[in-house]
Amino acid sequence: MFRRLSSDTWLGLLACFLALLLIFVWIPLDTETGLIERVRRQVTLGDSLGPTVAAGILLLGGLLTVLRPDAGGRRLHVQNWRWIAMIIAVVGGALVLMRFVGPWLVELFGTTPYRDLRATPPWSYAGFMLGGTYAIATLVALARGRLTVSAVILGLVTSVAIALFYDLPFDDLQLPPNGDV
Amino acid sequence: MGIEAVFAGPELLSILGLGISTTLVMILLGFLMGITVGATPGLAGPMVMAIALPILISIFGFSQDAFLPVMGFLIGIMKGATVGGAVPAILFNTPGTPDAYMTTLDGHPMARRGQAREALRVAHFSSASGDTFSDVVLVLCAPFLAVLVERYLDLPEKTGLFILSLAFIAAVIGNSVGKGLISMGLGLLAAMVATGEDFYPRLTLGVQELSGGFPIAAAILGVLILGEVFKALEDLRHEKRDGAKPQRAPATVEAQRPIGLTRLFPYILRSSVIGTAIGALPGIGSTLAATLGYTSAKARHTRTKAPTDPDFGEGAPEGVAATEAANSSVSGANLIPVLSLGIPGNTAAVFLILGMESIGGFNPGPGVFRVPGDGINPELVLAFGLFTAMFVTNGLNWTIGGLFMRAVGIMSRVPKDVLLPVVLLLTLTAIYVQETSMAAMWVAVAFGVLGYLMRRVDMSPLPFVIAFILGGKLEETARQAFSATGGDPLFLFTNPLAAVFVALSAIVILLNLRRRG
Repeated sequence: MFRRLSSDTWLGLLACFLALLLIFVWIPLDTETGLIERVRRQVTLGDSLGPTVAAGILLLGGLLTVLRPDAGGRRLHVQNWRWIAMIIAVVGGALVLMRFVGPWLVELFGTTPYRDLRATPPWSYAGFMLGGTYAIATLVALARGRLTVSAVILGLVTSVAIALFYDLPFDDLQLPPNGDV
Repeated sequence: MGIEAVFAGPELLSILGLGISTTLVMILLGFLMGITVGATPGLAGPMVMAIALPILISIFGFSQDAFLPVMGFLIGIMKGATVGGAVPAILFNTPGTPDAYMTTLDGHPMARRGQAREALRVAHFSSASGDTFSDVVLVLCAPFLAVLVERYLDLPEKTGLFILSLAFIAAVIGNSVGKGLISMGLGLLAAMVATGEDFYPRLTLGVQELSGGFPIAAAILGVLILGEVFKALEDLRHEKRDGAKPQRAPATVEAQRPIGLTRLFPYILRSSVIGTAIGALPGIGSTLAATLGYTSAKARHTRTKAPTDPDFGEGAPEGVAATEAANSSVSGANLIPVLSLGIPGNTAAVFLILGMESIGGFNPGPGVFRVPGDGINPELVLAFGLFTAMFVTNGLNWTIGGLFMRAVGIMSRVPKDVLLPVVLLLTLTAIYVQETSMAAMWVAVAFGVLGYLMRRVDMSPLPFVIAFILGGKLEETARQAFSATGGDPLFLFTNPLAAVFVALSAIVILLNLRRRG
């Protein structure tokens, strides 16, 4: 029976479920005041009202989508989920490299903490360059269906160019992860 | 004073003893970059506006002196990208921007007939004409509308107007009213996280990192830019796998009799009016303007053309003129709701508002045009500075735009599979530079996934973004209106004009529901 439902119907049902979850569970548990509050004889709008209105709109949109689904509407296929999982893995991996490679290298080869070296090349560039090269090379490879040396070189050159572009002229701009550590 | 702020602002360089202001130089650079971006399929003006913003703020800082150079640059990109989009559409049958798709229908057949130069000339002339027309309407309408809003609308009516704008955007964008409302509901919800008046940051599930709310740049760039990059990369992968190749017939350049531009005037004028009207309405973009302009011109051309003239779709210059005038005339008019109501109408306007909010000192809305009893309203000076920047960009378009358009044809050859990953890294870096937090990059990726999923189910992300931007303002205005009416929970219905706005919101949704489902 569920197989016969269109993707729009699924989308509408999901929106309705989320809206009801918000209205009856999430908002009451995760906000401090109700819809309308009375404080010292003064009546004000509580913090729950805005999210409840948003959830109401979500519910209305969900109901309309369920009641009037677009029969020719696009459907999310398994390959779409697979693709977005790959993208999250690639971009997430790049962010992890950006965050940890610099401190790892400093720990491996130096004695000074990374925090003291975060404005000193090459340490300050290491994470960004490796993470950036990895992201660009892998994404180009995903789009082309094969990994090539030219994609890696492109990733490296672009990362160096972006790093220099932000870092050289602007003293107050920091590349990832140097503002966090 | 607005004109003076642009021309006689801080001087950057001097040519033959004549000082050139920083704002003028930034407008020029933005405009040239915009044409280049527009001529590059896969890149879009808003993408570059987003990437450029943190760099510009880093250069110019957050002072009031920063406002016009930064906004001038962004306006230059916005206008330049629309003109540049015609270049690959005409030369390579590949629209540089979505709104240039209709230009391919007649522009490329003209190019294949050896009239590439003429097609570019027609596109440039029509684009510059439409743009100028739209800017004139902006200058005439925005202050007038703002004064009306300020004089006649009190807090309940303003709340009603916000609701009407959001309802209109949700109802008219995309293929389905239901999906528009879902997108808008999600945007409002995202705007509510960790905001509010209580000490406890609401809807954060106790996650400390969310206690400041979602970083605005990370959320917007994630949904609009990263979501688009994720989707476009997947499309490319499928194209490669299926062996599909874009149709690219090379244009030939032969000496041809120049096309008389005067015969195009009726088409340009009609499309300019259509584009300006559409640009002034929040939520309807330049792609629809181009489509309507083209369709309307096609009907006229069929009635009036000589038997020897080519039909629309077979290389009619009137088709190029109608499309380019319509899509370019959106760029001025879309500032009407931004400046008079504080409501962004399309993606480019979203980034203009983001720029204004990042710099501070300028709150787009009816208050901008307030004339104080004594002294000067600095926001009014900046608003007229923006108008001046728009006209300076027009001047550049008329003088050097055509020349530069012909020079950037080479950008059409940059492969998308190289460009998109570079855009992704630039966007993530721009977010980090602005927020200085790895968490913001993760937030951007999460919103990018949301943007990707929205596009895959045919749900426009624009209502999400606009609701995310306006959510806070809507709640604040509603709170003030509630207090001002002495805690009347029915304030939206007891004030006649507010009730009219609410009723119109329902009508807009019902009408669109009947029309499109």
